[in-house]
Amino acid sequence: MTNLAEAQMTDSDDMSQSNGRRIMWIILASLGIVMVAGAIAGYMAQHNEQGGGPLGTAGIVTFSVFAALIGALSYAIWTNSRKLRADNEPLTKRERLNRNIMFSCGLGGGVVGVTVALNSALTASPASDPIDLFVSSSIPPMVALLLAFFWGIIMPVIAWVWHKRAIDEQEASAYRDGGYYAAYAYLIGAPTWWLLWRGGLVPEPNGVAIFLLFTTIWSAVWYWKKYR
Amino acid sequence: MKNQLKILRATRNWSQAELGEHLDVSRQAVNAIETGKYDPSLPLAFKIARLFGRPIEEIFDDEFGGGTDDR
Repeated sequence: MTNLAEAQMTDSDDMSQSNGRRIMWIILASLGIVMVAGAIAGYMAQHNEQGGGPLGTAGIVTFSVFAALIGALSYAIWTNSRKLRADNEPLTKRERLNRNIMFSCGLGGGVVGVTVALNSALTASPASDPIDLFVSSSIPPMVALLLAFFWGIIMPVIAWVWHKRAIDEQEASAYRDGGYYAAYAYLIGAPTWWLLWRGGLVPEPNGVAIFLLFTTIWSAVWYWKKYR
Repeated sequence: MKNQLKILRATRNWSQAELGEHLDVSRQAVNAIETGKYDPSLPLAFKIARLFGRPIEEIFDDEFGGGTDDR
């Protein structure tokens, strides 16, 4: 293999870890915007419960902070997206499709999150806890139907295309590993929580919290295995 | 698993993206294989071997006697 070892290396285009970090920042910033939208919804619901009307100084300051946060997170998405594009590295067909699907899903998830948050903010809900408001307050049947259609019908189609045409075996392996970790966390964590609740030691198991934990572990392991 | 993929790629003067296109995988997958962070499946290993016209054991070293450097 001497002739191979002496061959000139073409490292200039080698992928650095930075792309993974940039994508991570884009994902985290997107999630952050949804969370801030939820916080705005909670704040507005409390404000409405207390009689509504124009916002006072404290309200203006609070909304300024929310606006600054959304601005900073949007800036993070914009700069990292720009750096990704500026890399000017050619993408394979699979990567291009993969990236388009991921961004579309992020955008779709953001729209769903903001829709739920805005709906919660605009409807005077009796719930006082912002988290309860975002998670379990009632939404109009038509909005619920549209969101359920997106999540229950559109998402499986996107997932099918993603698995069949966009990802390769390395990413599929990372995804499977994430699924193993998440499944064991669920199989061990959920019954443990339930047993502790039966013993009166912890609050009642929360399905949404379990779902979020499951997806967070799955996503974190997938990300680590793909970009490490 | 150690391998000669990066060196073989250099002999063709291909970028990771170009090799990825030939193998129908992402640059990330090529990078992960080259750095030994991911071991390819047997079908992909055969595809790599066919692409470079070399036996699998000449490209991949399983550290149990495989690879040309150990012979």
